[in-house]
Amino acid sequence: MTISDSISGIAAPSDRRSRARQAHIWLALLLGVVSVVSLATGPTGTSLWGAIAKLLAGEPLTAMERVVLWDIRMPRLILGITVGAALAVSGAVMQGLFRNPLADPGLVGVSAGAGLGAILAIVLGALLPVWAQDVAGNALVPIAAFMGGWLSTIILYRVSTRRGRTSVATMLLAGIALGALAGAVAGILVYMADDRQLRDLTFWGLGSLAGATWSKVLVAGPLIGLAVIASLFLGRGLNALALGEATAAHLGIPVQRLKSASILIVAAATGAAVAVSGGIGFIGIVVPHLLRLATGPDHETLLLNAALLGATLLLGADIISRLIIAPAELPIGIVTAVLGAPVFLWILLRRRGLVDL
Amino acid sequence: MITASDIQVRIAQKTILQGVNFTAKPGQVTAIVGPNGSGKTTLLRALTDEVPWTGRVQINGQDTSAYKPWELAAVRGVLPQAATLAFPFTVIEVVRMGLMSGIHGHNDTIAQRALDMVGLNGYEKRFFHELSGGEQQRAHLARALCQVWEPVQNGSPRWLLLDEPVASLDIGHQLLIMNCLAVFAQRGGGVVAVMHDLNLTAMVADVVTIIADGHAIARGPVADVFNDQTLSAAYKCDLRTNTVPTHPKAFILPQVARLSCSAV
Ligand SMILES: Nc1ncnc2c1ncn2[C@@H]1O[C@H](COP(=O)(O)OP(=O)(O)OP(=O)(O)O)[C@@H](O)[C@H]1O
Ligand SMILES: [Mg+2]
Repeated sequence: MTISDSISGIAAPSDRRSRARQAHIWLALLLGVVSVVSLATGPTGTSLWGAIAKLLAGEPLTAMERVVLWDIRMPRLILGITVGAALAVSGAVMQGLFRNPLADPGLVGVSAGAGLGAILAIVLGALLPVWAQDVAGNALVPIAAFMGGWLSTIILYRVSTRRGRTSVATMLLAGIALGALAGAVAGILVYMADDRQLRDLTFWGLGSLAGATWSKVLVAGPLIGLAVIASLFLGRGLNALALGEATAAHLGIPVQRLKSASILIVAAATGAAVAVSGGIGFIGIVVPHLLRLATGPDHETLLLNAALLGATLLLGADIISRLIIAPAELPIGIVTAVLGAPVFLWILLRRRGLVDL
Repeated sequence: MITASDIQVRIAQKTILQGVNFTAKPGQVTAIVGPNGSGKTTLLRALTDEVPWTGRVQINGQDTSAYKPWELAAVRGVLPQAATLAFPFTVIEVVRMGLMSGIHGHNDTIAQRALDMVGLNGYEKRFFHELSGGEQQRAHLARALCQVWEPVQNGSPRWLLLDEPVASLDIGHQLLIMNCLAVFAQRGGGVVAVMHDLNLTAMVADVVTIIADGHAIARGPVADVFNDQTLSAAYKCDLRTNTVPTHPKAFILPQVARLSCSAV
């Protein structure tokens, strides 16, 4: 074997891996840039740069600047990052768990289940005694959304997976049924809602980052942060799972624990995201797919890249939603659907050859 | 040493294996043969905990249930009869999955050498799902080889449990793979392989267990077990064992003219 032979032989396997690792850095940089743009963008004349210049010069900010930058744009930025990361990571984890690139919380009824949980909390939470409302406070809606997402993921997995194999057709159909059921129950609840609740509820249909507050950040942020960090430890297991449950077990993966952990992570991330931002679609399916095309399906790098790219794309969509009909703003769910749906169709088109769909 | 005693497997009210005893020693290739549907795969699955079973299975003197999943993975590699793969992984990525059970350093070198051993040098970057059936099978075997790369670890043997490792291979690759397995055994590891090709089995295996109708009907060195009566009874057709003076191992010749008798 010549030297060049041995070099190409050894360089080959690490190709995609090193590309995927470099992507961590590039995507983090991109996220940083988009974050700054997001902070600088808004309908009011408040300028981020002006404020920074003032801070550097030691001058105090005006009350207006403080409110716009610190109380409106900053929580919105953080919420955008966490929700985007949550949607993309729960998509990637779910796809790994179901061993299928079409599994996505939005597509298979998990978001709908989480939404139902949130609606239940909003409408029925008002029936709780006042002291209980005080105790549960802001956490009630996200927790209920988490429970809803968790239940629907478990039901979905039970229905569509037999002996470690997932039937895609069953998964998608069960997802439609779950989504319809959640929608119907939500519809009943809407009739029970009063005006104030109704306003809260319409917001779920559209999906939006408007109305981001620090209290929402405090509720959703930790839950999503935990879920995303936990997901980074699943990479090896999800890779092995691609070979089937039995083989994963033979490779030393505690499969049952992996599956429960994946389901909890999906439920926590989706639940928290839905609770604070409603139903934002397509991030969970488009982001992991693009990354698999670019850097391969290795979950050890995919999950972190998905978190970064998901956050970046959602911030980008949020910026577009604020600019396109300024000074009014478009619900972000519309932007992600307009951009994401064609990509999704393109994914399906590329997979047409695979009969096992 | 792998010992399994009084293995019984029932799936959906149906008894698939009954009172099966099985042993495999390190340093040997142990073959499991028998007709279709006799329970060979099920026996391997009982040994590897893939189906619910009763009885007792020990690896290296310890009940399999006493191992943690990752400890078991460090002791034995398993090749299923049919393997699937979700997502477009490349060949080398699949083979490297075998390295997951805690072998650190030299990873790529081991994966590369395992690929060389199964004759897939140069296939590293190809997409796994674009390989032919036989190539995929060899790639999976390379993955299992990676997992137990050193046949002996800390003084105890490691194991390869393989379900029809050469089923879809051409004769050249059959010999290549069987040779890999024989070498693995010679270096102190243990190999358990479900086989269909009796001649290949006679040539490479040291010990053989014949399964028929869910029972182990014969067990022992190949020379003792492979005789006309036992084989013909197991496979329900007329088989003759022969030897040629220049070659010590037996070969098995089906008696074609009589095949139709049992088919009635
Ligand atoms: N999960 C299952 N449910 C029901 N029956 C099963 C199951 N698995 C195996 N069987 C039955 O058990 C019997 C033994 O199957 P097994 O797969 O062990 O056969 P085998 O000896 O490996 O055959 P082959 O040579 O075709 O691979 C067959 O009759 C099969 O139909
Ligand atoms: Mg079999």
